[in-house]
This record gives sequence, structure tokens and C-alpha cells, in this order.
Amino acid sequence: MNGKKLKLGIPKGSLQKYTIKIFKAAGFDIEIPERGYFLKIDDPEIDCFLLRPQEIPKYVEKGKLDLGISGDDWILETKAKVIEVCDLKYAKQEIKKVKWVLAVPEDSKIKSVRDLQGKTISTEAANLVKDYLRKNKVKAKVEFSWGTTEVKPPRFADAIVDITETGTSLKAHNLKILDTILLSSTKLIANKSVWRDKWKREKIEDITLLLQGAIRGEEEVNLMMHIPEKKLNRVLKILPKLKSPTIKKLTGENWYDVTISCKEKNTRELIPKLKRMGCQGIIEFPINKVIR
Amino acid sequence: MRQGKKIKFGIPGWTLKEPIEKLFQDAGYEFKINEKTSAVFVDDPELDCFFARGKEVAPLIERGILDGGIISKVVIAETKTKVIEIADLGSLYPGLETRLALAVPFKSSIKTLKNLKGKKIITRVPEITKTFLKRNKISARVEFSDGTNESRVPTFADSLVEFTNTGATLKFYNLKILEVLMKDSIVLAVNEKSLKDKWKKRKLEDLAILLRGARLAQEYAGLMLHVSNDMMEEVLKILPALKKPTVTQLRGENWFDVLTVANKKEIRNIIPKLKKIGSTDIVEFPLNKVVI
Repeated sequence: MNGKKLKLGIPKGSLQKYTIKIFKAAGFDIEIPERGYFLKIDDPEIDCFLLRPQEIPKYVEKGKLDLGISGDDWILETKAKVIEVCDLKYAKQEIKKVKWVLAVPEDSKIKSVRDLQGKTISTEAANLVKDYLRKNKVKAKVEFSWGTTEVKPPRFADAIVDITETGTSLKAHNLKILDTILLSSTKLIANKSVWRDKWKREKIEDITLLLQGAIRGEEEVNLMMHIPEKKLNRVLKILPKLKSPTIKKLTGENWYDVTISCKEKNTRELIPKLKRMGCQGIIEFPINKVIR
Repeated sequence: MRQGKKIKFGIPGWTLKEPIEKLFQDAGYEFKINEKTSAVFVDDPELDCFFARGKEVAPLIERGILDGGIISKVVIAETKTKVIEIADLGSLYPGLETRLALAVPFKSSIKTLKNLKGKKIITRVPEITKTFLKRNKISARVEFSDGTNESRVPTFADSLVEFTNTGATLKFYNLKILEVLMKDSIVLAVNEKSLKDKWKKRKLEDLAILLRGARLAQEYAGLMLHVSNDMMEEVLKILPALKKPTVTQLRGENWFDVLTVANKKEIRNIIPKLKKIGSTDIVEFPLNKVVI
């Protein structure tokens, strides 16, 4: 070790649990003390900080952090100039794309974006909304909201722009969605000058490789089966083409052992089919990382 | 999707809720039961799931209102429904055996089944109990009681027929088992006519393969080891016969790689034995599905 350190920003809040989980799957254990925001990570070359995702893009831009995790929404909102290293999207339900929507009261006269002219819009992402209005050539007043934005119309604002997942909270406040202004996903971002530091860049690329491998590992499983020699070609034809299967002849028998990795979702269709075709001893087991 | 065809499938509550959710999730489905609304979410458009009491599900399958469902063997016997069991999914709680037992107080004068003559038996399965008594030519009073029946003997009744997993509750109330009426397990049961529809038959059988595969995997683990030629015979004798072991030769050596699956409880005994014989690099790994 050369005593060099990479400074990493972990988002506090809704992305926190997922981020810690995906780092763990990638091989990094991050521990959050009960109080305090200095995280422990089991890699002496990384210093971890727990910060609001709204702040991480700016800190990465300024170089206070080398690397961070935040959403498209906050990267755009803060207009931070950073390198988007990769998307940390996740196929399973746990993390969906965050939806920013324009909503108005059910009985409002505002029926479309154009009707917003001269009105007041309350939001936590003021810059996002201003950009959106500019694009739609509408002039309106954008007010920054510290939170509980759904409560504000109609008394404190005519419309809001807020995050929604199921729409339940909006409905509970008699609000209806007029438009989706942004679908935001989780991003790994890096500082621009860090990219010129050979050590840091390699470290970031290694972390990225492991994170992406872990994300793929969550989606994929290994499938292993025994296939009689005369059916081998027929079975190989129906296996997914993600990567060439590992085929081994069983010692002293006319059977082959075939191992593939495939999307977990596909095994639902595949396993019954394989069994019908005469495959035996089919086992599916989880994998931690997939690197291609 | 094939012409919008659907399987109507019964899911029993309430004690079975969690094991069944886990089973479907392990089988590769997103699956969630909402007890408040009795709504079942499953990410398969060909599957319409209905959540109800087991006692309601069984007759609905017999009448063909449902194509199939998960029910316990005790429920089938108690409701005397005619359904076809296409997969045994084993005990309700992996690792535990659920039995339906007739029990009496330790100090009771009832020492044999014959002594039950003229006595009062409480149970939540009166039909099974009556059939059992008739078979043994005993006339006794059977009363339905749906609560903590263990606490009601001997105050309210002389004996009871109740479910037991470990026997701990019976022991707590100073009760001893006189006779086990039947072992309980959950099965995938289907309507006879649904099996005559080719598409439904296939869909139900596929589901059986996946649920059974997931169920086995909850109890099994994969085992991988290196074995030299001269110890092979002995090793193969130790390994369980559930799946034919995958034996492949290691490159250019007199050693082989052996892969198999075994019951987790057996593995506790197998690993030390394998080690003593001289096998090396023994690796145990988790499984998602086992389809033999």
C-alpha cells in the first residue's frame, strides 16, 4: 500500500440500504455506526462518508469526494460537472427508477403545462423545474420546498413537482399527475481530475467492475444439469446464448454435465422444459458476481 | 402470452402464509400476499391466485372453480374432497414434521384407544377424528373446538386430536401422545378436469416442478470436492444417492472433481467422513432449485 486513499460518498436516505447491499455483494463491507457519519469500510484504501444525495454531486465536482453515489435527479438539479462512471440499476424490484412528476389538485383548472403560466410551483428540485418550464416556454414561480410538498396545494402553491413511486401519497392529498418530468436512476459518479490520477482511476475502475459484477450476480444464477449424449445437441439449442456453456463429459459415462449462467427469471421457463427433454439432476444455485 | 389463458390457483392462509410466500419466491416468482385485502400479487400473468382458508380452497378445487392450489393433506382428508395431488411439497415447516395426534393427560385413566369409549374428544378436525374412531370401532363423543385445545384438556374434555410439530405444547400441558393419526404435509392439488386441458396440465406440471425444486433446495446444499482415483469407490459410497454425482477428471492428474447435492443435515456427517478418507477442497454451496 502507498497510503493513498479514495474518498467515497454514500447517500443517506432511500438509496442508503441498496448502496450498502450492492457494495457488500461486490465484496466491500460498510458499517454504519449508530451515530455519526464516518462509515467503516473494510478496505484501507477507501474513506467513506455518509451524506445527503443532494450534496454528493457538488462534493464530487469540487473534488472533496473522488467518487460518490447519487441519482440523475440530484446531478441535474445541482448541475454538477462530474463523470458518470456507471449506472447502478437493479433489475429486481427493490430499486425502481425514481419518478419526478408534476401534480395539481384534482379539481384544479390547470389541465396542462401551459396552464401553469403565472402560477406557483412548489418543489425540492427547483432547478429541475425551471429547466422543465423553460423547455415548455412557460413562465411560472418556482418555490423551493423543504419537504412535505404534497400538503402545499392549493393553499401554498398551485402545483408541485415531487417524487412518486406508487402515487398513493399524491392520491391521498387529492392530487393528480399531469406530467412526468424526469425518470432518475442511481449513478456512480467521479471527479473529473481524479480520472487523470492513474492510481485513483484504476481503483475506481476496479470498484466499478466489482459493482457491476455484483449487480449482474443478483440477476443471474447458475444452472447445472446432466444430459444424455444423444440429446446434447437438442438441449444446447434451447439454452440461452448469454455465454457459451461449460460442457464436461462425465467420467466413464455417456452423459454430459452442462453448466450455464442465465437470468434468474428465465429458469422458470427453462427448468420444466429441460426436465421434459430428459435432463437429470438439474440444480440452480446463486452466484455472487458475473464478470464478462 | 398464450391467448390470455390463466390458471386459477388457491393459496391458503393464515399459518401457511409465510412458508408459501417463501416457497414461491424461492421458485423464482415475485410473490406477495396481502392478508388485509386477501390480494395475492404474482408476477406471472398466466397465474390468478386466490387467498382463502385451506378448508375453503379444497372444495373449490374439487368443484373446478379453481384449477389447483396448495393445500395440506389434513385439509383434504377433513373436507373429504376429491383432488389429484401432483406434487408433495413436504412439511409445512422445513426440518419439522407436522403430525396430527391424539393425546391424553399424563395421569389419565385412558391408557389405550379402547379406553376412549364414551369419552369426549375435542378437535379442529372432527371428520378425521370420527373416521379414525370408526375404523378402530370405538364410540366416543367428538366435539369441534378451534382454539388452544391443549389448554382445554382435561377441564373441558378427556382427550384431544391436535397438530404437533415438536410436541412441546402438548408436554407443556402435561399431555402425552396416544396415537398419531396422520402426518401432515403440503401438496399441490389440482382438479381432475383441469388436467384434461393440455395447456393447463402443462402449466400446472411446470409449477409443480418449480415449487418442488425450490422446496428441495431449502433442505439441500451443493457439495464439491476433489477425490483421487483410489479413494473414489469409498467416497461414492458415502455420498447420498439423490443425484448422480458429477465426476470429471482434473487435467492431467489422477484426481477427480466430484459434485453432488445432499441434505444439509446429512452434510454435517458427510464432510468429516470425506475429509478422513483424504478428499480435499471440499466446498459446500447454497442452492436455489434442485430438480432430480
